[in-house]
Formats: sequence, structure tokens, C-alpha cells
Amino acid sequence: MMSKRLGKQLLAGPFLLWMVAFTIIPLILMGIKGFTTADGAFTLENILAMGSEMNIQALILSLQLSLMSTVICLLLAYPLAMILRKMGDSNSVIVFLFVLPMWMNFLLRTIAWQSLLEKEGVINGILTALHLPTIDIINTPAAIVLGMVYNFLPFMILPLYNCLAKIDDNVVNAAHDLGANWLQTFVRVILPLSVPGIISGVTMVFVPALTTFVISDILGGSKILLIGNIIEQQFTVSYDWNTGAGLSIVLMIFVLLSMALINIFDKDGEGTVL
Amino acid sequence: MKKAIERLYLAIIFLFLYAPIATLIVLSFNSSKSRANWGGFTTQWYSEMLSSEVIMDALGNSLSIALFSAVISTVIGLLACIGINAMRKGPKTICLTLNNIPMLNAEIVTGLSLMICFGVFGVSLGYGTILVSHVAFCIPYVILSIMPRLKQTSTATYEAAQDLGATPLQAFFQVVLPDLMPGVLSGFLMAFTMSLDDFVISYFTRGRGINTISTLVYSQVRRGIVPTMYALSTVIFLAVLVFLLAQNFLPQKLDKLTRKLHEKRSLKGGDEGGGKWVMVAAGVLAVTALILLIVPGGEEKEEEVVYVYNCGEYIDEAVIDIFEEETGIRVVYDTFETLEAMYPIIEQGQAVYDVVCPSDYMIQKMIANDLLTPIDFSNVPNLEYIGQDYLQACRSFDPNNEYAVPYTWGTVGILYNTKLMDEVPNSWSILWDERYDNEILMQKSVRDAFAVALAYQGSSINATDPEEILAARDLLMAQKPLVQAYVVDQVRDKMIGGEAAMGVIYSGEYLYCHDENPDLAYVVPDEGSCVWFDCWVIPKNAENKENAEAWINFLCRPDIAMMNFEYITYASPNTAVIAELDEEIVNDPGVFADEATMGRCEVFTWLGDEVEEIYNESWLEILAYSDEAAGVEAVDPDSEE
Amino acid sequence: MSAPLIDLVGITKQFDDTLVLDDLNLSIQENEFMTLLGPSGCGKTTTLRIIGGFTQADKGQLFFEGKEISGVPPHKRQLNTVFQKYALFSHLNIEENIAFGLKIKKKSRQYIKDKIDYALKLVNLDGYGKRMPDQLSGGQQQRIAIARAIVNEPKVLLLDEPLGALDLKLRQDMQYELIRLKNELGITFIYVTHDQEEALTMSDKIVVMNQGYIQQMGTPEQIYNEPENAFVADFIGDSNIIDGTMIQDLVVEICGVRLPCIDTGFGRNKPVDVVIRPEDVELTLPTPDGLNGVVSHLIFKGVHYEMEVEAGGFTWLVHSTSLSPVGSKVGISVRPENIQIMNKPASEDEEAIANDE
Repeated sequence: MMSKRLGKQLLAGPFLLWMVAFTIIPLILMGIKGFTTADGAFTLENILAMGSEMNIQALILSLQLSLMSTVICLLLAYPLAMILRKMGDSNSVIVFLFVLPMWMNFLLRTIAWQSLLEKEGVINGILTALHLPTIDIINTPAAIVLGMVYNFLPFMILPLYNCLAKIDDNVVNAAHDLGANWLQTFVRVILPLSVPGIISGVTMVFVPALTTFVISDILGGSKILLIGNIIEQQFTVSYDWNTGAGLSIVLMIFVLLSMALINIFDKDGEGTVL
Repeated sequence: MKKAIERLYLAIIFLFLYAPIATLIVLSFNSSKSRANWGGFTTQWYSEMLSSEVIMDALGNSLSIALFSAVISTVIGLLACIGINAMRKGPKTICLTLNNIPMLNAEIVTGLSLMICFGVFGVSLGYGTILVSHVAFCIPYVILSIMPRLKQTSTATYEAAQDLGATPLQAFFQVVLPDLMPGVLSGFLMAFTMSLDDFVISYFTRGRGINTISTLVYSQVRRGIVPTMYALSTVIFLAVLVFLLAQNFLPQKLDKLTRKLHEKRSLKGGDEGGGKWVMVAAGVLAVTALILLIVPGGEEKEEEVVYVYNCGEYIDEAVIDIFEEETGIRVVYDTFETLEAMYPIIEQGQAVYDVVCPSDYMIQKMIANDLLTPIDFSNVPNLEYIGQDYLQACRSFDPNNEYAVPYTWGTVGILYNTKLMDEVPNSWSILWDERYDNEILMQKSVRDAFAVALAYQGSSINATDPEEILAARDLLMAQKPLVQAYVVDQVRDKMIGGEAAMGVIYSGEYLYCHDENPDLAYVVPDEGSCVWFDCWVIPKNAENKENAEAWINFLCRPDIAMMNFEYITYASPNTAVIAELDEEIVNDPGVFADEATMGRCEVFTWLGDEVEEIYNESWLEILAYSDEAAGVEAVDPDSEE
Repeated sequence: MSAPLIDLVGITKQFDDTLVLDDLNLSIQENEFMTLLGPSGCGKTTTLRIIGGFTQADKGQLFFEGKEISGVPPHKRQLNTVFQKYALFSHLNIEENIAFGLKIKKKSRQYIKDKIDYALKLVNLDGYGKRMPDQLSGGQQQRIAIARAIVNEPKVLLLDEPLGALDLKLRQDMQYELIRLKNELGITFIYVTHDQEEALTMSDKIVVMNQGYIQQMGTPEQIYNEPENAFVADFIGDSNIIDGTMIQDLVVEICGVRLPCIDTGFGRNKPVDVVIRPEDVELTLPTPDGLNGVVSHLIFKGVHYEMEVEAGGFTWLVHSTSLSPVGSKVGISVRPENIQIMNKPASEDEEAIANDE
């Protein structure tokens, strides 16, 4: 019995090997870089660099924008997931349609938003033709939030939908039967049951939004520096790997802490991503 | 009523998701190269795409990496799920936490840590490193899709199969696996999609000669995306759409078909396999076949090669084909986004190139750091076509004309829209003029941006005095509220589209912009500016030096230089080209700066590591600077719906 | 008696800290319908799984036709199992499900086809071969699970609560079906259930288990009429289990009244458990010396009335075809041969058993 169990456990071997070799060791090496100077001497300077006014500002801004896009994604995705849930079995095509945009290159999709949002862009063209006031959000934080919402929305929809689809119709019926109105049913039954979905969705939107550098670059006109941009610049422009690694470590710890905070609500600890 | 609202909501979300995609598809049929102009319908980009080796290679790489990493991560992930499921609580939690790390980690952190890791262990970057990295970040998605399914699967069927005489292995493959199949399938698809869509991690772990679609697109962001990329994406998108729709709308029919086939087979005592299996297998086979058709590079023999590293969109690709045909030397052509991004790659030597095309001050820096090797000019007889004036000017960064052969040159000036402003911006001061709030495009490049401010305040564009630099920094900070965006070469598209009244630009872009939008004019302000040279140089660690020289010689040949001039429109130092051109173009100070202009301009020089650090730090401060504290207004990103 | 087909010797099994089977010894004869009966957690399913090979015993030996098979994996054992929730392969149709084991054994195409036809006829599901499992009702799925097992011609068929998920009527039908099958096939059935009625109806031999011990083994009649302890008595049908004292041979005192009985050998003035089946309690008019009480509850059950009578400080459960209205005074009498005397449980384990539902 034991040996059979052990044999099965060994199947996780390649996984562990891969994870250690290509996730843990690289992170440790990055940690070493982050705690040393270019000459290899120990220093805390790279870590403390996050404390500079510029970096703190970028971090706060990243936090604000990513939180905002996470909330918007959640607000957009939840009703959608509810609608999809009601549609029952016929919706697999529709669910696929939400993943489909990801097959169009991520950078191109974002650049396309440039074309849409520009002062003389497609949307303003349509608005002008309709004699409506035009919008001017390109190169503003709003455009970055839009880009984040656009790129990460599918990551919110899928886990939410998967979670909601698992709720038995009779559970909802039971709530109605026990006298709960639509809102009460939602707040007291559906919402609590969908918490795991919300958590994986929030994680999958918040983390990439917090750390992106491409979206802010393309839609923010490089006027708005997020923490991801600062790290990227350290590596590619200033060519200061040590500071870059130091900042990355702080960012990583920051992300892990926020996730730990969110995961307090996740009893299972395994999420329900798909 | 409620149903109608739901439908409407669904429609709006779809509009939101597909509007950019529709835009891209439309742009792929635009005969104008600029995305800001509609130049009429064309399918030229599709045929260009098919004949472009660079694009086809990138496509092949993207697809094969996506396929292999999806297959590998699905196998590893599936095994891991079974293993983890058999574990006790403690080890199980550890494994699942481990599994969460790549998902929670910022892509940039993952990418960078892998790059550092490969660097430390001396693994040269290439196809393998991308694949390995992709597998690493795909596994968690696979595990997360299979795990819940595995938990639902009761052990009863597994035991039942064994009870009926199946060995544990047979029981797994014939009973458990079909049960897990939906999870395995979605994990596989997820991994494939994530890998295909990834940019950041590929960006940091790729080596020379390896492009994926993502990295190719990114390298083109600098000079504006070539519509062939739109065409490529459109094709991929439609192919996937058709495949997925076929899989979803045909299953009943196909299911019947496969079941029939299956019955015949199963009664013969053959292997099990439900309809879905067949579908997946068919899908995978189709993709593999596609790749094999597209990527011809299966039989790479030992042959003459030259590894070329150039700016994105900085050559007429037809020239590469001609070179390969004439010399029999295969060209591995790679592009970089900025000089700053190129430098560490050459310095690190993780990817070895034979011939690179940097600018003046960067060449000086490379010479100073002993990264270049002198060119053997006996192999470059076509150097005779390069004008002496230009070689003379190059001495400011290459004192003995040993290392560099000029490829293009030009000035930095202001491109302005005569429709949007009545005055000629003869002074840099106009970039600080509040009347042009949100009408100004600045260069997103340290030295170019500083050159503007330094020239404006009367300093040399090669200022080394920290006070002068900081004064220029403050000027640029003060200017920031007026700036619409800091851009590299997207300035072209934005100016052509009338997005801004003026933008700081390289003179080379003027001709193209003027063709697309005749309202655009170019001027080098009176305070002076920078004159720059992009030259071909040979890195010290080049492995095919003679081929590199052949390449340089080839590019100096008048007909080839002409092709390049016509394609990239940057001024050529080639006298034979200049002699061929219309008077009108040669005398246009926007294209070929006149002597008076040249007199006002300086060439960038390398200022040493310390001064460079001041520039870099100040530049980051400028980019991060915001006049309204944290600078977030209340935003409503859906207001355009 | 011939040599047993299956012999379990000293089987002990522990899960984490819980002892599930403790030194279990059990012999199963060829062609026997044997039922393991007990409440959930009594170890009956574990016993079955040890025989099937899905669970390994910690201690003890398992013999099949005299050969030790403790270490033999399930797929090499000559027995087949019908699982609790059928465990049909949802991705295969009915034919493929039935053919599964035969294909593994690489039987010929014709053989498989004949077997499928035969098995489907046997379970009265002719013509259902092309359907998928989820298109069948619970009873039909159950029969397919049986068909899937028996086509492999096992020497022994293990059935793990196979009727648990079915409704009452279907369950009764299936009970007859199983008996018919057993007679037709002439193989050994080992049947696990917690339903005593099911056990009584079908079995040749019943093994009542609780908390890892065998409480009693015997024919249905023995188990029902002569339970050896309070647990068995309580578990098999309804019983009145009353504290009593064995005054001497043939005389027992309950509720302060001495009654004649047929049991001997318990000694004098010994505390005992007295078991009286509700249908064995006869209600009479109140008698001066007898046990008298008042009817407190009355339910009509169709075949009989079920009444509760408060008498002598004990609530008696009484089944009777004649009606005594609530509140009426009655006398209680029991024939000597219907009084079953049992020793009080001696060990703590047995005590625990008695307290178990």
C-alpha cells in the first residue's frame, strides 16, 4: 500500500524538478543579485531603492490603477458570468469566444486600442459623425486602466463563470423558496458561493495589472511610469541589473503579501481557476 | 425585457473585446503603411507576409514553441496532479503553493529571473531557453485545470477497471484519463494560448535569430508596425476561429462519425478512444502540419552564415534575399528596439552577432569598452561610394574611421503640421509654449530628449556638467504637462493622423510622413540640434567576420543602397544614391540637411559611465514626474462604449 | 463440509488511528450467497475490499481455493465486483462497458459479441447496447454493472451495497433478480449491505458485523430468531430488549413479573438481556398477577397495527392485527418459546456495540 502510494507520488517528480530548476533557482539567483552590488559585495541599497520618492510614487500609482481595473473587471465580468450561467449548455461556444481574442497578439491588440482611442481615432471619428462630444483619454491613466481591463477581462470571466456554473439551480431555488428575494438570494447565497471564483479572478487580473510595463508604455504615451516600467528601464536602459533585481524582489514580496491577504478568504487554498 | 437587457450586455462586452480586433483586421487591408491613414484596399500585406522569411520564422517559432510547451506542460502537469493527489496534506500544500508561484509572480520578474539564471549558468539563449521558460509558466495552468477534475473523479471506476482485469496502467489510460480529458484538454488549450500570447518572458529569454510573433511586433513598435503583422494576426485569428467553431458546431456530426469508426475499431479489440480524443488529436496534428509546412528550416546544413543585428524596420527585406542569393551566405536577421537594449546583449555575449547597426555615441561607447573589431576595408571596396564628408564627420566617434561604415544619417528636428499651427517652429522654445498644450510629441530616448532641452538652454548636447544636465532635466519636467506622449517612432503615425501639432523626430522620417500627409513639414530649430549617424560595426566576438564585411560591402553597393533609401527614407551617405536622386529631394533640407543646418548641429559623443548614469537617472525621474502628485483622475474607461 | 472457497484468517486493518477490522476470521463456501450485514463503519465494506484486492490488510491472510492471494493485485484475482454506485465508464457505451474486461483479456470478437448478447439478455436489457450509461435509469445501470462483472465468469461476485441507490420497489425487484441470477450462474456471491431486510431475503448465510467484529454468523432464520446479543437483536428487525434477571432455569423476571421461558444454563439470579419481538407480544385483557399497561401510541401499518404500551416502567413495541385504542388498559403475555435470553455484554467493545445506533 505504502509503496503504491509512493510510486504515485513520484509522478510529481518532473513537476518538482521543473519548478525548482526554472522557478525557484532563478528566483534565488535574482535574490542574490538584488542583495549584491555589481562587484558582488552585499548591500541593501537595491532593496531600499524602492523607498525613493519616485519608486514609491510609481508603486502607488500602479496599485491604484491595478485595483481600479480589477474592480472594473469584476463588475463587468460578474453579470456576464451570471448570464452565461443561465444560458446553460449552449454557452461553450460563447466561453470560447472570450478566450479567442487572446490568439490575436497581445501587443497588437493593445496597439489597436491606440488607433481606437486617439484624438483622431476611430471612436472619436464615430462620435464626431454622430455630433457627440469626443473623448480624450489616450495617454492618460484612464487609457491604461482601459488597456488593463481589456487585456485581463477574460481572466476574470473564466474563473467566475466556472465557479458560478457549478452552483446547483436548486440551491438558488431553495433560497427563493425560503423567502429570499432576488437581492437577498444573490447576497446571501450566490455571492458567498462564488468567492473562490472571485479570488482566482481577482488574482489573475490584479497581479499582471500591477506589474505590466507594456500597456502603460503603449497606451500611456510613456508619460506615466508604473513600477513595471521602472524595473524594465533598470534592466534595458540603465543596465543596472542589481537595482532591477532588488526592485523585483520588493515587488514580488509585495504581490505575495497582497495575495496572502486575499487568500485569507480562500478556504480551499487551491483556487478554482478553470 | 430582461432577456433583451442580457443580450444587449453580452453584445456590448463582445463589442468591447472585438473592436480592437476588427480594427486590426481592417488595418491588414490598408494599403497605407501608416495605421493613421486609410490608403485603400489591398491584399499586398498578405502576399508580403507569406514571402517574408522573418515573419514566417517567427510564426513557426511561436507555433512550435506553443505546441511543444503545451504538450510538455500538459504531460508534466497531468503526472504532477496524480502525484500530488496521492500525497498527504503537508507535501500537497507545499506542491500547490509551489505551483502558485509562477502564477503570482509578475511576468517581468519571472522573465528576468530566468534571464539571470541562464546567464549565471552560461546557457546561451535561444529556442530552447524560451521553450523551457514557457513550459515553466504553463504548468501551473495545466495543473489548475486538471486538479478539480481529478478530485471529482471517484476512484470507483479506476478500481472497477482493475477488477475487470485491467492493470493499473491500463485502468488509468482507458478509464481515468478519458474522465480527466476535459480538464486535460482545457489545460492544454490554456497552455497553448498563454504561450502564444506571451511577450514578456519570451522577450527576456530569447537568443539571437529567434523571434516569436510577440518579440517581432515589439521590435517594430519603434518604427510603427508593418501591416504584414496585422495580416499575420488576422490569419491566425481566423484560423483559430474556424477551428474552434468547427469543433463546437460540428461535434454532433463528428461525434457520430467518430463513434462509428470507433465501434468498428473497438470491436476488433483495438484501443479505446472517445470522440473528443480524436478531435484533439486531429487539432494537434493540424497545427503540427501547419508548422511543418511553414517552417522550411528543417535541414540546416553547415553553411556560411551571418548574424545581423539591426534596428526594427530598418532595411528593405528584399535586400536580404538578394544578398543570400548572390553570396550563398544565410542571413540570420535580428532586430532590437533601442540602442540601450542592444548594448547589454552585445556586451554580455549571450547572443553573438557578426554585424550590428548602432548610432554614433553608442559606437564610441562600444569602442571605449573594447567591444568592436576594426573592419578590414580591403573586403569593403564599395566604401568608395560613401561620401568623404560623412566619413569625416564620423571621426567624432570613430577617430580613425576604423570601426564604422555609415549606413544612414540625419538630424533631429521638429515635424509640424502646417494645418494645426500658423508659425514655423524655428525655436525649441515652442515646445514649452502653453498654447500647444497636449499637442507636443517628445522622443522617448534619453539623449534625444536631453539634446532638445540642452540646445534650448544653450548648452552643448554633449554637456557633462551635472548642473547643466540637471537644469535640462528641470526644463523637461516643466515641459511634461504639455507633452501628449513620449514616443519612439510612433511619432510618424501620430503626426500623419493629425494627433499632434508637432513632434520631435529624426529627419529620416520626414519624407515618409510628408508623403502620407502633405501638411507635415520639418525644421531644425535655430538653437542647433544633433546630427546623427547610424553605422555598421563588427563586434569583437563576431564569429563570421568576413561574412559581416561582405554584408557591409553589399549594403554600400549603389543599387542596394538605393533600395534601402526608398524603403526606409533615411538620408543615405552613399554618393551614388545621391547622384541618382531627384534634385528636389536632395535639396530638401528635411532629407539632406544643408550646410547651414549642419553648422548648427553636433554629433552625440559618449560621455562616460558616470555622466551617463546622471542622464539615465534624470530621465527616469522625468518619466516618473507628475505635476499632480500621483496623477490619477477619476476615470471611466468604458465611457467610449 | 468441503474446503472453503475463500478463507480470511486473522485479518486486521487500521486506518490512521481507527481499528476497522480486528482479527477477523471468516470462511466462505463455494456457491454460497453470503451477506455481510452491519451499520456503516462496521468494517463490512473493508472486508469486501480486502477480498477484492483494493485494500491491503495490515495483518492476516487471505486464501482463495486454498492458495494465499493477499499480495495479488485486483486485476489478477478471479473475482469481480459490482460497485456501490455502479462505477460505469461514462465515456463508453453499454456494450463497451460490458466488453471492457473481455477486451483486456483479448478475447475474440465473436466471443465478446456473444457474451454481450448473453449478458444483456440475462439482465433483461436486450437492445440497450448502444446507449450511453447516463441514458439509463438507476436500476438499468445497476443491471449493467452486474452484467459487466459476470461476463468475466468470476468464481465469486462481490457486491458492495449494489441496491443502495434504488427506490424501494426497484430494490425488491432487483432482490429477486439477484437470487435468480445467483441460481442461474451457480457462483458464489458475497454481498455487502446495511439493509437487514435485503440480507434476510437473499442470503444463504448472514454475517452480522459491528465495529470490526463479527457479531453473529448464521442462516437468516438463526439470525432473526436467535440473536446472540442485543446488537444483533436490535439491528435485525425491531425488538424489545429489556433488562431482566434469570431467576433459575426456565424462569426469567422482567418488570417485576416472573415469566416461564425455555432457556437453561444461565445460573441463578443472573442479570440478562431479554429480547422479545414485537409480533410475539400478545395483548390480553388486564390480569391481576400479570404484566399490565396502557396503550400510548397507535399507528396503522397496513399488515398490522404498531402500538406502544407503557407497562412495568418499559415502553413495549407491539405488532398486532387486532386494534387496542390509545388509552385502553391491556395485559401483556408472551409465549415461553418467544422469549430470547442473552448474556449482558461482557467486554467494553460489546458495550460500545450495544450503544451504537
